Amino acid sequence: MSAQIAARALTRGVGNLVLGVLALAALLCWPLLVDNVFYQRIGALVMLSALSASAWNLVGGYAGQISIGHVLFFGCGAYASLLGYTWFEWAPMVGAPVGIALSLLLATIVGTPTLRLKGHYFSMATIALAELARIIVVNSPVLGGGVGVSGPALPRSMADLSFISPVPYYYIFGGVLAVLLLFTWQMSRSRMGYYLRAIRGQERAARSLGVPAPRFKLYALLVSAGFTSLAGSLYATMVGFVDPDSGFGILLSVKMVIAAALGGAGTLFGPLVGAALLVPLEEFTNAMFGGGGTGITYVVYGAIIVFISRFAPGGLAEILTRLQAWRARRAG
Amino acid sequence: MQADAPLLEARDIVVTFGSFRAVDGASLSIGKGEIIGLIGPNGAGKSTFFNCLAGDRQPASGSIWLRGHDVTRATPEEHARLGLARSWQVPAVFDDLSVRDNVMVGAFLRHSHRRDAAAAADQVIEFTGLGPMAEARSSSLGTPARKRLEIARALATEPEILLLDEALAGLTPTEVRIAIELVRRIHAKGITLVIVEHVMEVILSLADRAVVFHQGKVIAQGLPRDVVQDPGVIEAYLGRSLRRKAVRA
Ligand SMILES: Nc1ncnc2c1ncn2[C@@H]1O[C@H](COP(=O)(O)OP(=O)(O)OP(=O)(O)O)[C@@H](O)[C@H]1O
Ligand SMILES: [Mg+2]
Repeated sequence: MSAQIAARALTRGVGNLVLGVLALAALLCWPLLVDNVFYQRIGALVMLSALSASAWNLVGGYAGQISIGHVLFFGCGAYASLLGYTWFEWAPMVGAPVGIALSLLLATIVGTPTLRLKGHYFSMATIALAELARIIVVNSPVLGGGVGVSGPALPRSMADLSFISPVPYYYIFGGVLAVLLLFTWQMSRSRMGYYLRAIRGQERAARSLGVPAPRFKLYALLVSAGFTSLAGSLYATMVGFVDPDSGFGILLSVKMVIAAALGGAGTLFGPLVGAALLVPLEEFTNAMFGGGGTGITYVVYGAIIVFISRFAPGGLAEILTRLQAWRARRAG
Repeated sequence: MQADAPLLEARDIVVTFGSFRAVDGASLSIGKGEIIGLIGPNGAGKSTFFNCLAGDRQPASGSIWLRGHDVTRATPEEHARLGLARSWQVPAVFDDLSVRDNVMVGAFLRHSHRRDAAAAADQVIEFTGLGPMAEARSSSLGTPARKRLEIARALATEPEILLLDEALAGLTPTEVRIAIELVRRIHAKGITLVIVEHVMEVILSLADRAVVFHQGKVIAQGLPRDVVQDPGVIEAYLGRSLRRKAVRA
């Protein structure tokens, strides 16, 4: 009986390993398999979106503290990179640490008071601060105002990380994503991972077991903000331009939440899966209805939100688990 | 800290909800190694008092001392670190974690490395008899197992004093007997216990001392079999049921 269970677990383990290796191989080869710039660009954007959604997932998924203003950190990264170039002629990635430092500061300011409170104060504070940042940028000509700021028009050296093909970006974004996922995996197995899931489940009970909830929520937010800021810098490096909407627009925050929730918030690969579905969907609707068809984007996002919250609050990861349970039951 | 100082002491605790005094000047002193049975009719303020003792709610006035430290304004996690653990009247297990992982959360308090915490958790799981369901998702457990998991999780923090809020309520007589035996084994490890229970049989068979709560006050305390015969205590319970009958009629 227990041998049978062990055998089944082993088969499942091997199955997962094979699946993982195949998925990794597919991810590594993707841009080489499709030699079409449109698809390669989608690949790079998927990686970038997966990076910011996975960063959001640390605090929104694992710790269950829903931030709907994460674009605040993304914008800090993007603007720090391109303002560094505009003001000091820095290579865009040189501004990245500045963006990260600023994001950590803002995360501490928004998180320290609100993560101690129960309820939705944290969510509301993040969205308020993100909007405030957008309004400040729009009204500050020195920050580019409503027009935005640009990066180097022509690459001056390799350090500018300016490439015509999207393929190098795909690998750079994917590499950073891999680092983040490795960190997340390690964290989820450590005390911090247990504490965050306990906080998400029953914060009062967690605290009664000695979990310093406010402190651990802040840790999660800091790591999350740092990686989101880095994603912003990487985005600015690739696109070479950022304006208040593409840097601090609320739709970007929503996208991070939806990508993570669609794939499965609080799971390791959920955000990547969500991004791999969401980004192509968006790019195709944009291609079909023209760049001005962003109205469609809102409709699609709304539909996804309704679908997830009505049928699968745990996202596709939950649907998969249910499917497995159903198959196991049918198997006997 | 002197050897004979109380392990946990609450002095003149008052908790108000608006103008209503749920706990109204209650005091209690608990010595090391005791088993105290806290009884009283529904709404007497037992759980609210418990929440104060555990740092989950701060009293409007009064003070609480744990192992010689003033913990009146301390957080629940500071209470846990000082060796106080508790269960919840309404089970509050982490639903999307397995039974083992629930216990691990508690074990991480004294063991920061995963492997040590896992070893400590496994010991507690075996001690509480949760072994067969260690891998189950705790959302799939029934009430008896949930209550037991709450106790296991609390034990994993390696407490000196354990507060159990109706940890035996809703169990069948057989399950109650098993749970009583578990409480005895916990006490045998040297852990001081405060248990809130409605089932008199449990108090009579377990407690060294019974403390009776009524309308936010301690109205009697002493040996359990003396206390249950105290006219004031009988009145507190009976008065209520008589009033209820009158309302129904
Ligand atoms: N958060 C709250 N807000 C307002 N009133 C409350 C709150 N919590 C408890 N009360 C009230 O305080 C009183 C004491 O409640 P408490 O839960 O402490 O009683 P108890 O002795 O544990 O009762 P039981 O045996 O039913 O568990 C009750 O009248 C209850 O309605
Ligand atoms: Mg109660």
